Amino acid sequence: MTKHGLVIDQERCIGCQACAVSCKQENNVPMGQFWNRVLTEGGEKMDTPSGGYPEDGGSGSLDMQYQPTACQHCENAPCVKVCPVNATYTRDDGIVEIDYDKCIGCRYCMAACPYNARVFNWDEPEHMPEEGTGDVEARPQGVVEKCTFCSHRVDEGLDPACVVNCPADARIFGDLDDESSTVSKYIDKYETDQLLEDRGTDPNTYYISGEMSPGRPQTSDKMESELDDVSPWSDGDDDVPSKEADSAGGESSGSSHSVEGGEIPYATPAKSGGDD
Amino acid sequence: MAANTGSSRVAIPSFSGKGKLWIGLLVALMAAGIAAWGYQLTTGLIATGMRNVFSWGLYIMMFVLFVGLSAGGLIISSAPKFFHSHRYEGFARLGVLVSLACIIVAGLLILPDIGRPGRIYQFFTSPDFRSPMVWDFGIVLLYGLLNLWYLWLLTRRDLAARGSALALGFKDTEAGRERDRTLMFWTAAVALPTAVALHSVTGWIFATQVGRGDWFSPLVAPVFIAKALVSGLGLLLVVSVLADRYTNFEVDREELTSLGKILGIFLAFHVVYLLAAERLPHAWADHFEFWAIMSNFLIGDSVYFWLWTVVGGAVPLAMLALPTLRKRVSVIFTASVLAVVGTMFEGIRLVFTGYEVANIDSAPGISLGGEYTGITTDIWATAGSYTPTLVEIAVTLGIIAFGAFIVTLGLKYVPIQRVDAEPSYATDGGKQDQ
Repeated sequence: MTKHGLVIDQERCIGCQACAVSCKQENNVPMGQFWNRVLTEGGEKMDTPSGGYPEDGGSGSLDMQYQPTACQHCENAPCVKVCPVNATYTRDDGIVEIDYDKCIGCRYCMAACPYNARVFNWDEPEHMPEEGTGDVEARPQGVVEKCTFCSHRVDEGLDPACVVNCPADARIFGDLDDESSTVSKYIDKYETDQLLEDRGTDPNTYYISGEMSPGRPQTSDKMESELDDVSPWSDGDDDVPSKEADSAGGESSGSSHSVEGGEIPYATPAKSGGDD
Repeated sequence: MAANTGSSRVAIPSFSGKGKLWIGLLVALMAAGIAAWGYQLTTGLIATGMRNVFSWGLYIMMFVLFVGLSAGGLIISSAPKFFHSHRYEGFARLGVLVSLACIIVAGLLILPDIGRPGRIYQFFTSPDFRSPMVWDFGIVLLYGLLNLWYLWLLTRRDLAARGSALALGFKDTEAGRERDRTLMFWTAAVALPTAVALHSVTGWIFATQVGRGDWFSPLVAPVFIAKALVSGLGLLLVVSVLADRYTNFEVDREELTSLGKILGIFLAFHVVYLLAAERLPHAWADHFEFWAIMSNFLIGDSVYFWLWTVVGGAVPLAMLALPTLRKRVSVIFTASVLAVVGTMFEGIRLVFTGYEVANIDSAPGISLGGEYTGITTDIWATAGSYTPTLVEIAVTLGIIAFGAFIVTLGLKYVPIQRVDAEPSYATDGGKQDQ
């Protein structure tokens, strides 16, 4: 079985909003709505830290981190269980998706979601440009919509738009049921949290904090599993990527951040606890 | 058995000038409600005060209230029948009529809340039985039909005696009345657990949700039962006092006083005991000093809390507890009105406690999904806020007016009381004596 999951490395995230914007474009998300939001863990406002400046008399305790937040694709998804008409359902690959033909717009799922990941089309959705953007059909007025892990891309063997467009390689998508996948290895190796773990929803989205991971290992917009033998860990003996690790295959897509001499770019693991 | 004709009466033989004015008012409210709903259908739910963080509003708050209100009448008329008692016989038919109207109002209130009402058939074609809403949909439907059946069963022999077409061909015979008494017992036996299920399932819509603060509490279902008893009995008393005043319906003073006392007991159990039981453990666990625990236990946090517990709890409770006051009809009436109003604020508070705080409230927050008006508009919110719009209020009032219209028609066309002094219904072979 496949169980798609997302790992977000908060140590790598630079708060650039590229994932939020590419999600909006890719999925034709209406004006005034966001499926994917980059929240600031820190001060009162966006992009503001908590604590005091390191100046005379100040506490020098400035602290800030970004938390990109969208549908967490929970294993025990309350939204799926409350939907009276089976419009929200869990796919066999773990993606929580909505059948917009069935949705009656009762918004019980919005009450159920502890993450406020769902938005409702209160009026006729507006798009700019008017014909819409991206590859997903616009949803009508009166239905609830949300992140689908770009299931239309996943079905084609592509990573979600937010993942391939993350310039910090902070988002890693993969199969949580596959022990050799990068997401499984990172969850195993790094300190990860699920949001609101105490609610028992068991999200398939994990957040790395503390030590920075090497980030998303491939440059293609394809999913790791769709790439031919590119995993530096395909031999299965080392779960931490290192500079020495090298493997053949996989075409470099000419991505701007490819590393010379190898198809698999890694960031050097930063010193742990970097900016805290 | 034409001899029975004189033994039942309708409350409104014909509409007087005032009666016509009342009907006119209700029709005007219903027309305004339909117009407002039409407007909302064309513009979308943007016409309401609801947005992405606060995504259920007045319709659901009033749904909760009217489900509760539908309890009183049915329980007051079926509980004595179940125990073969003649108590409160005079309230039995009016009670079921009021219950029927309230459950219809509750059911109708869901329609304008639905984003795409045209798809509501999905409840039948694609139900998910994990969803409490599917069960609630079923039980509201069942409860409505049960009330309709019960009202007809209680009155069909009298309707037949009066030659009304509403008897649907049934004849008024002694054997028929005898059989109906048995049917009434069995209907009461079904009605009581159905009422309990209705209020519990409605409570579980909220109580099952891990993401909405205080909703996730095992106490919600019992609290819904208690508030149904309080508000349902309260409304029955209000309606019967009004009917006594403005129609030929006659209230038995002694039974009214007795029901007033019962309302006091319900209030004490609900607003004092259950509320205390709900608050104490949290207050105790969250605080350290004795007075910190006490003040957190006793002092509420929102205006809705005070409107509910003081205006809708302590005041009517005091009125019904003082022996010098509680026999007066005006006192019983006022206390009942306050109990209903208090329960309304309890439902409002419940919805607010679920939505006003977002679990993850980091900036910029959650996109509200309101009308997009330009680049400078702040589309974000880190907490929920809600004020109903005029459209919501008009739709809600229109539906409530429809409920009042049903009660008025019932008072006009259904023999709402037996005139004979002797109680006429018993399942233990009690004979009628006229």
